[in-house]
Amino acid sequence: MSNQKSLEHEIKELIIEALGLEDISADDIGSDQTLFGEGLGLDSVDALELGLAIQKTYGIKIDADAKDTRNHFTNVASLAAFVTARQAA
Amino acid sequence: MNGLKLEHLLLEPLQQRWVTTEPDMNHAQLWEASLRLAAGLQARGIQRLAVYLEDAGVLAIALLGAWRAGASVLLPADLQPQTRQRWAPAVDAWLTEVADLEALYQAPLSPAVLDLDSCQLSLCTSGSSGEPKRIDKSLRQLANEVQALEALWGADLKDACIIGSVATQHIYGLLFRVLWPLCAGRLFVRKQLAFPEDMQRASREYPRFAWVASPALLKRMGDNLDWPALSRVARVFSSGGALPVEAAGSLYDRLQQWPTEILGSSETGGIAWRQGAQPWQPFADVQLSQDADGALRIASKYLPEGHVEQTADAARIHADGRFELLGRLDRIVKLEEKRISLPMLEQALMTHSWVAETRLGVVQENRASLGALVVLSAAGLHALRNQGRRTLTQTLRQHLGQHCEALALPRRWRLLRQLPLNSQGKLPQAEVEALLLAPRPKAPQVLEQVEADGEWTVQLSVPPDLTYFSGHFPVTPVLPGVVQVEWAFNLGQQLLDLPGTFAGMEVLKFQQLVRPGDQIELHLRFDRERRKLYFAYRNGVAACSSGRIVLEAAHA
Repeated sequence: MSNQKSLEHEIKELIIEALGLEDISADDIGSDQTLFGEGLGLDSVDALELGLAIQKTYGIKIDADAKDTRNHFTNVASLAAFVTARQAA
Repeated sequence: MNGLKLEHLLLEPLQQRWVTTEPDMNHAQLWEASLRLAAGLQARGIQRLAVYLEDAGVLAIALLGAWRAGASVLLPADLQPQTRQRWAPAVDAWLTEVADLEALYQAPLSPAVLDLDSCQLSLCTSGSSGEPKRIDKSLRQLANEVQALEALWGADLKDACIIGSVATQHIYGLLFRVLWPLCAGRLFVRKQLAFPEDMQRASREYPRFAWVASPALLKRMGDNLDWPALSRVARVFSSGGALPVEAAGSLYDRLQQWPTEILGSSETGGIAWRQGAQPWQPFADVQLSQDADGALRIASKYLPEGHVEQTADAARIHADGRFELLGRLDRIVKLEEKRISLPMLEQALMTHSWVAETRLGVVQENRASLGALVVLSAAGLHALRNQGRRTLTQTLRQHLGQHCEALALPRRWRLLRQLPLNSQGKLPQAEVEALLLAPRPKAPQVLEQVEADGEWTVQLSVPPDLTYFSGHFPVTPVLPGVVQVEWAFNLGQQLLDLPGTFAGMEVLKFQQLVRPGDQIELHLRFDRERRKLYFAYRNGVAACSSGRIVLEAAHA
């Protein structure tokens, strides 16, 4: 697995773990699948929870002053790109 | 501050009084738009209006315009098709976006005092039966609340801009984000800001600001925020549900002030407030009493004249009038400020042909969510066996999705052979919640065990929710052979006092699949000379599997 792919897989596991999802495995989540609303069906509270879990797990901070930070949470691929960029920063 | 009474908001245009920003709107613009909307509503004979607007500034225009035109306003909780359908007979028109207002604008009506007793507003909430409930309020009730809030905290807030994370469709957001600032002459932010980062960015725009928030947000604010900058916040309001003590304490550490919690509901209006771990302080206009069960009863100027509202909240009232809440007396739960009726969801779940019985409870983990204990019908068991657990739970979730919002959909499912009712035929809620927290079973349920001539016959029920079924196989769950051997070994140890440990297997045969919910018979016999445990599983007349487990001395 490439680094990108393995990070995506890790984030899928994190989503399942942090949000307590049942009957779903990492393989069931598409990297480009929309996480919130339709798609995986997560809600705004999940978004808040996931924001905290991502920051804690990867030791990064969501820049609260940047606009549209929540766009990074669109899907697993965008989250992985965000984590990679913040870790490099 | 330049306070105006709610009924006087449309008397004269005030250029110097700001209402909101992005885009800017001063009171004169609000005044004109409201009167133009009122003219359009009157011209079209619209008397009953449903309003769902995400922009608090536009909502202010809609409310004032409707009241000036003598139209009643209904604020539905959402815009789902069922919601629209439900209220369709009760309304003449819907305002859901700016264009809907613009289409109605005409030459303005004359300014006038709003009639506090004839102007109406209706809020929607889920009642205890689960049916959405409509709560009608007069403008007088709302005006009384606004006055009380300003009397308590107006001097403290001064010209703070009001920034909110909650929706304005409900009483708390409507009062705190729209009607109160409108009357007080405070600026408010148009949009509901659901994320802490957005709250921070909005806060930076103003020298003074206050937050109208809820526990869902306040208990999830991270270290990524600029807390020193945010500690300028004039006051942090929280309502909609209980704010955990730890969340309040953490806000105190970061902001050097306790959040101000507001207790109330659409039905009751404001009841009381508190800061930190203090008892609740009733608002000045509120008279409390209790019924025989200790549940609070409320009378206040925020309710219709003479009405006493019975709640299901048990309370202890102190001598000084302050009180503590002791919990709900019914099966209504709150998840992230959303009121959810468990009986209603259970009824809805029961209408699905796969469900024979069900009980719901709250699973308290990272976030609180619902879990369902389900006894499957024959059709449900068939679905589980042939389509798998995931399809089963997804289908039931989808079925429920027609009856409730996504947040209330059970996230955890436990499939049981029967509900473990106690001797009174009840299943206490604590027991439901314990069952939901417990891991899925790994062992069979032993129904009966008899011995004859050294051979044991054990009747087993294969739990429908056995943990092994999820991966083996996702769409056609069958009991893995290795698990059958393990069960035989474990039961053999219990029943036959086996010497030694597992050393291997012989003549294993798997003839028929064992599936969720099956009742099977296990035969066990131990040949002490050869140190072999003979086992055979049968399902009725059919042989499922058989073999021998070889044992060796405990210590070789």
